Amino acid sequence: MADKLLKFSHSPHVRAVRTTKQIMIHVCIALLPACVMGIVYFGLKALLLLAISLLSAVASEFVYELIVGKKICQIAKKFDFTSCVTGLLIGLSIGVQTPWYVPILASAFAIIVVKMIFGGTGKNLVNPAVTGRVFAFMSFTSLMASGWVAPSIGSLIGGASLNPTTGATTLTDIFTGGALPSLSNWDLLLGTGLSGCIGETCKVALIVGGIYLAVMGIINIIYPIIYIAVAGLFTVCLNGFDFNYFLPSILSGGLMLGAIFMATDYTTTPNTTLGNVIYFTLLGLVTAGLRQATGIEVVSFVILLMNLFVPLIDKFIINKPFGYNKPKKAKGVQ
Amino acid sequence: MKTNIKKIATDGVITNNPTLKLVLGTCPTLALTTMAMNGIGMGLAVTFVLICSNVLISLLRKIIPNQVRIPAFVLIIATFVTIVRLLLDKLLPDLYESLGLYLPLIVVNCIILARAESFASKNGVFASALDGLFMGIGFTLALTLMGAVREVLGSGAIFGVKLWDFQIGFFASSAGAFFTYAVFIALFAFFSSLISKAKHKKDALKEREENAVQLEKKEVE
Repeated sequence: MADKLLKFSHSPHVRAVRTTKQIMIHVCIALLPACVMGIVYFGLKALLLLAISLLSAVASEFVYELIVGKKICQIAKKFDFTSCVTGLLIGLSIGVQTPWYVPILASAFAIIVVKMIFGGTGKNLVNPAVTGRVFAFMSFTSLMASGWVAPSIGSLIGGASLNPTTGATTLTDIFTGGALPSLSNWDLLLGTGLSGCIGETCKVALIVGGIYLAVMGIINIIYPIIYIAVAGLFTVCLNGFDFNYFLPSILSGGLMLGAIFMATDYTTTPNTTLGNVIYFTLLGLVTAGLRQATGIEVVSFVILLMNLFVPLIDKFIINKPFGYNKPKKAKGVQ
Repeated sequence: MKTNIKKIATDGVITNNPTLKLVLGTCPTLALTTMAMNGIGMGLAVTFVLICSNVLISLLRKIIPNQVRIPAFVLIIATFVTIVRLLLDKLLPDLYESLGLYLPLIVVNCIILARAESFASKNGVFASALDGLFMGIGFTLALTLMGAVREVLGSGAIFGVKLWDFQIGFFASSAGAFFTYAVFIALFAFFSSLISKAKHKKDALKEREENAVQLEKKEVE
């Protein structure tokens, strides 16, 4: 939009055609395969839940803006699809057994409390979708963490897919001991016969979405890979360097969804390359460590926790200004 | 000395509400507001201690040397807290159990010390007693309201009476306590700003009318 008004802003000026709206539409497109696979696996209930969370996220943004006193055409003009992404992510990160009101409350909390109160898109301290999910999980633990429905083949394995590392023995039983042949790595990758949240069962769909985002230049594919690889490797380290743990640990639970779509949110990642590397490495380490320690799926909690460290990382890791020479006396503190 | 009862009352309950405006005594506010009943119990205990300590400190304000006033205040407060503890243990053992550690912690509750320091040590006995009463009422109201909201949302009940099965566990947890507290402070600030704006408007209108009347008078003359 070429505004004719004189606009004044501080210097680093980024000239780009791309707007927030376009980026968010791309993210929505990237989430579509996961949505489709979720609907294929879990049926119409999944579609219903996705629609509910999407609509309630958008609606709560409109309601908030109306309360604040803006006109409806103004809001519609300013609307940038961020809440669509948030709503979709919340819908994807809950299980099909969840009652219908949970995504409504989670979306409303995510949009109103986490995003709008802090000043709208780009000003939120933590990722809205992750916080909405954590809110829902804390509020309705019994409803969300039990009664997992396994799709298609029907090998109901309880929460096993969601807590892949309930301690060394369970993991050995399930994955390396071959006690459950229906859960090979291929099954984990494709999500067949695997119970779990709507969006996180089919890893292929998520990976396709991630590649789409990377090709469109929206995320740097290196960062999710760092997260996933570090989480996998650290799980291997914690389990006595047994590389059989690597694939099951990265292919189960919400790690892919979290790494590709939630952790890479622009607002809640550091500004510098080094900062990002540190951030995603820490995410991987903390995820693997806490998974091992608690025995439940912790990806959303870890992303929420690490989001709070982002300002700290940004404070200490600053890009060297162009042409800057270090003062000779000062020793490199980094 | 004439005591302005109305001013002390509005100060304690609204303009200087200890929980929502001064943000004092947050520890029991956050920890005990899971139930409305807890809020009332804690509020009344604090009110009792506040009134008694305010009265005693006000009486002794000319005897206590300035250098050791804080230890003296704490000693006086601790005396009354002990009385409350023993009374509650005997009369309301259930409430005593649910308040737990927070009852002895009233000793170091900022509200009481703040009122002792900023009001009772400078004002007369009657005014100090009133200040203690109304500060206590403000505290009790805030705690009870927060407790009621958190109880309804977090455990689907109010004053221990079950309303429905729908519960949002978030509000029963400590994160929910911070959230509810923040929302309460925000709403309180919003409404008090509305009120003060309305008051300003009224004052301005009044002034303008008076000016107009004066102008008319001048013109007539």
